[in-house]
Amino acid sequence: MTKILFSDKLDKCVERWKSAGFTVIGPVQRANISTYAAVEHAAELEFGLILPDRSIKDLFFPQSEPMLRYTIKKESIDTDECLPPVGPRIIFGARPCDASGMAIDDPLFGWDYKDEYWFQRRNESVIVTIACTKADDFCMCTSLKMAPDSCKGSDILLRPLAGNKGWQVEELTDRGREAFKTIADLLQESSEQAAPIAVVEKKFDLDACVAWLQNPEHFESRFWKEISMRCIGCASCTYLCPTCHCFDIQDEGDTYTGIRRKNWDSCSFALFTMHTSGHNPRSTQSARWRQRIMHKFNYFPGKFSVNSCSGCGRCSRQCPVDMGITETLQEISKLSL
Amino acid sequence: MSIEEQYRTRAKELLSGGAVKMVIGYGKGTTASRRRPLFISSPDDVERLVLDDACITNLSGYLVSEGLLSDEKRVAVFLRPEGIRAVNILAAESQLDAEQIVIFGFDVSGTEVRALKGIHVEEFSDVIGSIKEGAPEASEEELFEKIEKMSPQERFSFWQEEFAKCIKCYACRQACPMCYCRRCIVDSNQPQWVNTSSHSLGNFEWNIVRAFHLSGRCVECGNCDRACPVNIPLRLINHRMAEEVLGAFDHFAGMSKTQEPVLASFKKDDSETFIL
Repeated sequence: MTKILFSDKLDKCVERWKSAGFTVIGPVQRANISTYAAVEHAAELEFGLILPDRSIKDLFFPQSEPMLRYTIKKESIDTDECLPPVGPRIIFGARPCDASGMAIDDPLFGWDYKDEYWFQRRNESVIVTIACTKADDFCMCTSLKMAPDSCKGSDILLRPLAGNKGWQVEELTDRGREAFKTIADLLQESSEQAAPIAVVEKKFDLDACVAWLQNPEHFESRFWKEISMRCIGCASCTYLCPTCHCFDIQDEGDTYTGIRRKNWDSCSFALFTMHTSGHNPRSTQSARWRQRIMHKFNYFPGKFSVNSCSGCGRCSRQCPVDMGITETLQEISKLSL
Repeated sequence: MSIEEQYRTRAKELLSGGAVKMVIGYGKGTTASRRRPLFISSPDDVERLVLDDACITNLSGYLVSEGLLSDEKRVAVFLRPEGIRAVNILAAESQLDAEQIVIFGFDVSGTEVRALKGIHVEEFSDVIGSIKEGAPEASEEELFEKIEKMSPQERFSFWQEEFAKCIKCYACRQACPMCYCRRCIVDSNQPQWVNTSSHSLGNFEWNIVRAFHLSGRCVECGNCDRACPVNIPLRLINHRMAEEVLGAFDHFAGMSKTQEPVLASFKKDDSETFIL
């Protein structure tokens, strides 16, 4: 017997969570794009997606965020710090790759400086993940040693029952348990079996790729130029990526008053590493693509013992020129044979 | 022989004889329905070239990749009529020497692919002319009609909602053959002329700057629209601006390699007393 949340109870759960002070967020299809967004009713949630176009990152690390407002006076500067306006939230229906992406970024945002924008949002969010029963050609979680029912980064894991009837509930963290107390009476004990999880073909040998990347001789390999020749240098892959986390701090305003903002930035852009002198240590697109791969599978794991990729496949799925991490690592797998 | 085979043979001849140093075409993609840009420099690799109705991306933007044409060698490229128009504009705007470009022209109607006769850009003027003549006055798209009928306030709200989705990834710019500036105005940061933030104002600024910059230059290849990861219907903006330019100046972008850029030229007898 396992705890089951039946679909027809979900609207009541949403009601209950809302009255308990939670904002309920989940996958929705709006204005020709799927995202995670706040909902009023369970009916707005879209569970048929393989995964939303936009990643869950947006909820923790928005594309543009005010940090402080400032006024420069004759002898002083007044500042007014802006912190994220969040309260408790339940993100219902995250995908395992998105949830694990947030856990992957935790050590980065808490390393030498604790990023309070990130952690305030992390601490106030309960992530309720739904295991995947469908996958597409771009899904690659299994290649990253994860699975369509990985628990990493989730507070609750739901396993869908056959026929969209509901979900088996697995409570993973205290935060999850606490949030689900509010709906305890809406859950039922049942022997209903979970539907089989999606089959995601393994696309490359991660260990072999990492070993190849760690070999300093491969830094200047011609491979980088060949694999990235068609890259057009947009930031679509990095901005849709749940784990890409680079940002830029910009002041917007006039001479005396303005607002300091934290904006997404991307290693795909020529401007990303441009020095004030005009010199750019990554002056070509191939050097930029190499950086993205090296960062995710060599430097980041070197520092935090985890790869900076959760296998969602958005980079390849949305690439205007059909590039992406999958192809690059598949090719590296071949090179390392 | 299929067009694909014909073009592979031609690519092999050109590469073997050294007439071109590279062929930019299409190869198989990640999925059965996807094609990806492919760069072939060896005659042994021409079998990798694919030509079918899934070859949609306008490849002309690659021609202005930094350094590609600087050795004055020729490059061959697979182009649909929009791509050929783009080459004309790039030549007219002094971004490339049309003599260096060998065209593998093709067009697609439905699932049928047909070859376009010619090698050099000027040989396709009839094809382009017939597109101008055949261009519908308004887009055949329902959404376009719907927007046209909106009040200015409604239209503003429509675009506000669409631009709210923008993440300033600049995929539209990077995918566009006309966005060849080595340093885009939004990347000019000493000083920062345009805010980098992707908030409502920033997204409006970016999309409006781009719409105006492409007026009279866009060939409506659809690269931006397809590249947009958040599905903003950019094609509608470009189409509207192309209509305006055609109506006001009888200018159809990319007619020839010597066509004057409509918004960058001035005649003494212009009816306007000043230019922007």
